[in-house]
Amino acid sequence: MTQVLTKTHELWLTTIMASFMTNNIESRQKLNDFSDIIFRHFTWIEKNLVKNDIDYDYNRDNIPIKVDNLQVIVNNIISRINEIRLMLPLLEDEALSFRMSTDFDYMVYALSQIEDEKVNSFDGNRKYKNYNLSDEATDAFTLFLFEESYKEYELIMIYNYLRANSKDAYLNRIFKILIDESFFHLKSFCLMMSEMGILAVPRVIHKSLYKIDNVIKFLQDGIEEEIAAKEQCKDLSDAVAKDSQELAKFFDFINYQENYHIELMRDALAYYGNKSFMY
Amino acid sequence: MDFGPEIIEHMSNPKNYGRIDDADSIGIGENPQNGEKVIVYLKIKDEKITDIAFEAIACMTTVVAGSIITQEARDITLEKSDELVAVTLGMLDNVPPEEAACSEMVALAIKAATDGYRMSSQSGKKDTLIYKIESSCSPEQEYKEGNGQ
Repeated sequence: MTQVLTKTHELWLTTIMASFMTNNIESRQKLNDFSDIIFRHFTWIEKNLVKNDIDYDYNRDNIPIKVDNLQVIVNNIISRINEIRLMLPLLEDEALSFRMSTDFDYMVYALSQIEDEKVNSFDGNRKYKNYNLSDEATDAFTLFLFEESYKEYELIMIYNYLRANSKDAYLNRIFKILIDESFFHLKSFCLMMSEMGILAVPRVIHKSLYKIDNVIKFLQDGIEEEIAAKEQCKDLSDAVAKDSQELAKFFDFINYQENYHIELMRDALAYYGNKSFMY
Repeated sequence: MDFGPEIIEHMSNPKNYGRIDDADSIGIGENPQNGEKVIVYLKIKDEKITDIAFEAIACMTTVVAGSIITQEARDITLEKSDELVAVTLGMLDNVPPEEAACSEMVALAIKAATDGYRMSSQSGKKDTLIYKIESSCSPEQEYKEGNGQ
């Protein structure tokens, strides 16, 4: 079952990355929706592993996504789906296996209807829309997107792991909000990376980051990191402000969203403190 | 960091990124100031590095340094690896402090892995060495039982 989890993880990332490559709104929506469904498959398989007390991690292969045409990555997604299909009998949960199988039937059909188009997500142009950013601002923007797209993926996986391994409804509500928020940030940053021709799959996360012994320390460190991320957003907003008010406003918007994340993490921290237990 | 196409490629697709489950040796380079670390995995045959992988719990600059330096360390002898580490550490004065810390962490992780391999060859016991970066670049070493995380 752990192999199905890993393959589903890889399929999810391939599909969400493909959604950033297309300029066709309908294709993007379809790929985006499918990636969300595949992520849910991932969480359901994970829940089964937890239920059956099977050890697992989020290790996976590196995923090559550099293509010139959308059809190539779409065909790759279909191949990955077909590979997982063969493994579905390994899932002991028949209802989940049936659900995934029928989802895959429709996905393969719908994916085969997607029109081909040229992909510019890897041309390295490092231009964002028509904005004429200075070299310094472009470099700061580039580094920010690489650092933060990884960070958001990392946060999704950490909170997902905590959520999968907790039965506490109060905490799980907080973790779910933080996962959803990181999804929005990941999607926003990856779309920008695609526009700049530097789209990349975030690197594999080391297991020590999500197999956490001390959640209280993790939350305390996480609050510090969120405060640092706010500073990065502010610095970037300042760096691009004279060339693009739209970008500056976007990074201010992200910056202010971090305030609520910090409050949620403080809430979780207080809850852990009150319960006086270690995860 | 100069964001030319080559560096962007290392950022997008870091070479040798990941882990080797049946590594002959694992070494860790760590920044004690912020807890960032680089973990290097080696497969070694006849005193030669036949496979290398790394993981970074660190910033993108460290990932780029890991991608570049581990490429250099692939398919070379342990003796050449010592030279590579020495050359890398010797060049740190010429780069900005943050970038120096990143390269130092990668070089020390490789050194920890090769030193650990030599020690285990003598003692028969696998240890994962952790070398901490310092401004003087002289590693202080700690020992951790077992060859795993």
